[in-house]
Amino acid sequence: MRQLFLIAFRNLVQHSRRTLLLGGAIAGVTALLVVLLGLLNGIRTTILESATTLMTGHVNVSGFYKVTAGASAPVVTHYRKLLELIRREVPEVDFVTQRGRGWAKLVSETSSMQSGIGGIDIRNEPGFRRVVRIQDGSLDALAEPGTILIFEEQARRLGVRVGDQLTLSAYTLRGTSNTVDVRIVVIARNVGLLSSFNSFVPDVTLRALYALNDDATGALLVYLKDPKHVPQVEARLREALAAAGYQLMDKDPRAFWFKFEVVNREGWTGQKLDVTTWEDEISFIQWTITAITWLSYLLIGILLVIIAVGIMNTLWIAIRERTREIGTLRAIGMQRARVLAMFLVEAFTLSVSSALVGAAVGLVACVLVNAAHLQVPVAVQLFLMRDELHLAVRPGALVFSILLITGCTTAISIIPSFLAARLQPVTAMHEVG
Amino acid sequence: MKPALAALAVCLALASPAAGAPLPTPEAVHQVLRTIDDRQRNSGDYKALAYLETKEKDKIDTAREAIVYRRDEDEKLMILFTKPKSEAGKGYIRLDKNLWSYDPGTGKWERRTERERIAGTDSRRADFDQSKLAEEYDASSKGEGRIGQFEVWMIDLQVKPNTDVAYPVVKLWVDQASGNVLKRQEFALSGRLMRTLYYPRWQKLYSESKKAEVWYPGEIRIYDEVEKENSTIVVLKSVDLRPLDANIFTKAWLEAKSR
Repeated sequence: MRQLFLIAFRNLVQHSRRTLLLGGAIAGVTALLVVLLGLLNGIRTTILESATTLMTGHVNVSGFYKVTAGASAPVVTHYRKLLELIRREVPEVDFVTQRGRGWAKLVSETSSMQSGIGGIDIRNEPGFRRVVRIQDGSLDALAEPGTILIFEEQARRLGVRVGDQLTLSAYTLRGTSNTVDVRIVVIARNVGLLSSFNSFVPDVTLRALYALNDDATGALLVYLKDPKHVPQVEARLREALAAAGYQLMDKDPRAFWFKFEVVNREGWTGQKLDVTTWEDEISFIQWTITAITWLSYLLIGILLVIIAVGIMNTLWIAIRERTREIGTLRAIGMQRARVLAMFLVEAFTLSVSSALVGAAVGLVACVLVNAAHLQVPVAVQLFLMRDELHLAVRPGALVFSILLITGCTTAISIIPSFLAARLQPVTAMHEVG
Repeated sequence: MKPALAALAVCLALASPAAGAPLPTPEAVHQVLRTIDDRQRNSGDYKALAYLETKEKDKIDTAREAIVYRRDEDEKLMILFTKPKSEAGKGYIRLDKNLWSYDPGTGKWERRTERERIAGTDSRRADFDQSKLAEEYDASSKGEGRIGQFEVWMIDLQVKPNTDVAYPVVKLWVDQASGNVLKRQEFALSGRLMRTLYYPRWQKLYSESKKAEVWYPGEIRIYDEVEKENSTIVVLKSVDLRPLDANIFTKAWLEAKSR
């Protein structure tokens, strides 16, 4: 085997131009694959982190309360009792937080807009500080009642700055018109689609707006130590809640605001609980991940086909150039299998070295892109949930890229190598090269 | 003063004679409310053509035409939009305590809250429905005042316990001479003024079923007090108090009309 590697190495060195051309192409494809996987993983990580911090836990226990059949509100009553049940039934839990949910009109001196309103207790939301990047103001000030956090896109549309007043106008559970005046204490950087229709107030302010008591909330966001347990926890919670006598909504894998129409159409009144996962709550943007994933696979597929054609072509040329050499090797006793192995080893050596170089180049490119803090267009921000391009390269993705490219290119070289091995020594030696 | 208000004051001044009246006692205040309700209530059916003109900031003014059907005895109400083309066929119907909206584009019925805005305008279901002030609110007199040349009673209304209304606090300015509401202000739970309504024109029609006259506002000017530049004018015309077909207050009827 060592001999074969030596022959392969010498051949690659001897045909340096061809080696560089083909090796460069393989390295380029590998680098591209690493960057694509980094992009894909970056988007997924960002969406997951932003969404699970801003609007959903890994698993959520939420629901609707209806005073009359036609007036539903995303409210969970007696949440403390529910919290006990969750803690009892879900040992995998890392922490649970309660979040008020609402939908209100934000009115400034010059403009207005509808927005989802999250009621939070900023002192108990460490993850929130990690994800939300401040443009102006202070997150600590959000602990004061009568304050609000909005995103820069909302601030632009409303024509407001930190310190300005906004009026929140909404209807209470009983359909009574209510307002609260709030002071803008934080303007946060955009987090894509979420920043277009989300803002945050202290939970006490949200309760005042909806005239709720302090044992009512919008949702209990359950964060697990290991998000892989989400399906089991969701199923267990559904069973436990049903057993405890709670009315449960049928599984509907959509964000809560998509459910108003269905809930309002139904005739029941009172409380119904809903158990959702983070994937359900962000299902409206999941298609972007799916689309990007399939687009990446398509691109990688096309690149692999191009590289496969290149490798086959190059090996064909190499075989034609070395037909007499093959004949001689066969004449002095080299077996067909060994000839096959010789060409495969050459292809493998070229592939693995090029893929390694390519992976390194791709990794460096990702690091440089992250360091450059590249701003993405607003349209792209909507789906990225971030204003900057962020590429996340995992070691697993690097290894996968190297193995995939090496495996594919080596496999592709089997056909020309096999044909080279089938050459008759006499025919090969008479070949005019 | 807004130009619209100035025009309104002139309009009111020309439309009705001024007359003095003693400040109402608490019992008399309630009687005023009952009178307001009773004068507008028809024991039979009601049909009117409504025009809704809406102004919203940074948006093009919109105008809609709708037919309002009412059967006060059964508390039934239906609003069918006929113009513009994009709105034609949309409608609302109240069945029991539920308000349903229908969109012929999707063919779907949606249950709505009774207190929400009608077709995105500043108007609400209650603006088209029979008056229930005495039933829903406790009243107290805030004395007398003037709107333009009109002597008015100023009455504060506070929602009765366990009664669901969009605005828990209302202020009324009632013409002492005619007993008609000239101005109405509605406040949110927080005490913030949400809407101001002016009723510059009241009209009456003899009702065979009631065997008396039924009053209705010929025009309602609604000003959004939160988004100051938004307003809606509702004009009610061609009011008809003759009996309607017995079976029109159904989803099927509205759907059929929408086709």
